[in-house]
Amino acid sequence: MTPAEEWSRRLDRSLIELGVEPAEARRLTEDSHEEARGAGADPSELYGPAAAYAVRLAQAVRTPQPRLSTMPAGEVVLRLSGVSKRYGRHTVFDNVSLTLRAGEVAAVVGANGCGKSTLLKICCGTTAPSGGVVERTARIGYAPQQGGVSGFLTPAEHFRLFGAVHGMGRRKAVSTGNQLCRRLGWRPRSGLSAARLSGGTQQKLNVVLSELNSPDLILLDEPYQGFDQDSYLDFWDQVLKWRDAGAGVLVVTHLLQDLERVDHLVELHRSEDQ
Amino acid sequence: MVSAVVAVTLRELLRRRRALVLVVALPLAFYLARIDTTGQAIRFLALGVGWAVATLSLFTHVSSRDLDQRLAIVGASPSALVAGRQLALTATGLGLAGAYFALVALTQDVTHLWTVALLLGTSVLIAAPLGAAVSLLVPRELEGALALLSIMALQMLADPDGTGAKFLPLWSTREFTTYAVDPSGGADLTQGLLHFAAVAALAAVITWIAGVLRLRPRRLPVPSTR
Repeated sequence: MTPAEEWSRRLDRSLIELGVEPAEARRLTEDSHEEARGAGADPSELYGPAAAYAVRLAQAVRTPQPRLSTMPAGEVVLRLSGVSKRYGRHTVFDNVSLTLRAGEVAAVVGANGCGKSTLLKICCGTTAPSGGVVERTARIGYAPQQGGVSGFLTPAEHFRLFGAVHGMGRRKAVSTGNQLCRRLGWRPRSGLSAARLSGGTQQKLNVVLSELNSPDLILLDEPYQGFDQDSYLDFWDQVLKWRDAGAGVLVVTHLLQDLERVDHLVELHRSEDQ
Repeated sequence: MVSAVVAVTLRELLRRRRALVLVVALPLAFYLARIDTTGQAIRFLALGVGWAVATLSLFTHVSSRDLDQRLAIVGASPSALVAGRQLALTATGLGLAGAYFALVALTQDVTHLWTVALLLGTSVLIAAPLGAAVSLLVPRELEGALALLSIMALQMLADPDGTGAKFLPLWSTREFTTYAVDPSGGADLTQGLLHFAAVAALAAVITWIAGVLRLRPRRLPVPSTR
């Protein structure tokens, strides 16, 4: 096998691992091989390492997501009006307001300990606000920062469990879950429990479970922890696809580099800063 | 929904292999320690089964709390989540009780063998909600395990004829054991059954109320205007 053929074989395998359909992977591999031959260059010189090139190709060919949300575009999916949280005399945050509509992304930013996760829990309904009003659509997806998956269950078992909550059949839940995993560049291996996945892959499972039911509002609490750079980019691509598909997305983050992509910014400050 | 929770709970339990080995070993150790005295061996076996199942229940509920809360947030019924976990734990406990019933049948000469099945089964039916109730009232694993240890140590040390022993959850096992090995020993089977029914019902109600209160998210109004 020549180095060019070996490179093509690796590209084909990597594309399939990244969730590209085998026929499409073979077509892309042949195109790349032919293009390199036409240019009279070795494909590894022209495109770089096969695995890295596969990631770029896979991102380019992923099919656009069908409409996600059932909400009419522009409908309010979350409204916070003067929301505050206090523990005794300690004010965590005060007078937070936000109107998030279907097809919009909002980011909650702030330093550690300023109440970002608390605000998300208030939006979920697991923590009561000390003041203000929270209105929220009923069909939501939620990815917590920690503890959102069971280490003893495989991804397919998670999909069946969450699918049961949403009234989905077992097969549909698994096929939908696997399809969503591929959008994040991950193909789950059957029989492998979540505890044996890397931290980043567990977080991908966490994110996929939050969108399994095509919710109208997706609440995400720093869901990209443990992601590598490519997965992080895939994640933000996915957030924007949810937005384009008509869902409202609220992301808690402490990273500032992607804030120009969001429609609303909720900045929380530590109480001593206020 | 309940069946899905039962299925995943059973899978989770089966994959905790080391914990399962200890769950099986604990009652066996109690039984072997008293094997020379039939009545004591059976009573301690029942207490061992109860302790093992209660501890399994405690850790199952604590470790599944975050996942269950997430499921409740996205629409799962808290009652279905609690019921599913409890059914799986009870089925596992009854399997364990069945295996130990077979062991007693093979190794002991018991006058009323069916009473051994009754006392092992009732121990499981009390222990599963007892562990769950402790996990819901004492939310951390260490504190919960210590609380269960205290209850079970008291159960073993307290004089069964004393008034205080009747307030302990597995007092009924003593009545059933006495009846099983010595029907003329003055045991009151009806009293044992009444005690079991009261304790099992109380533990189940506490489990259900605490579970639903802990898991149920606040109901938020849907945004009314565009």
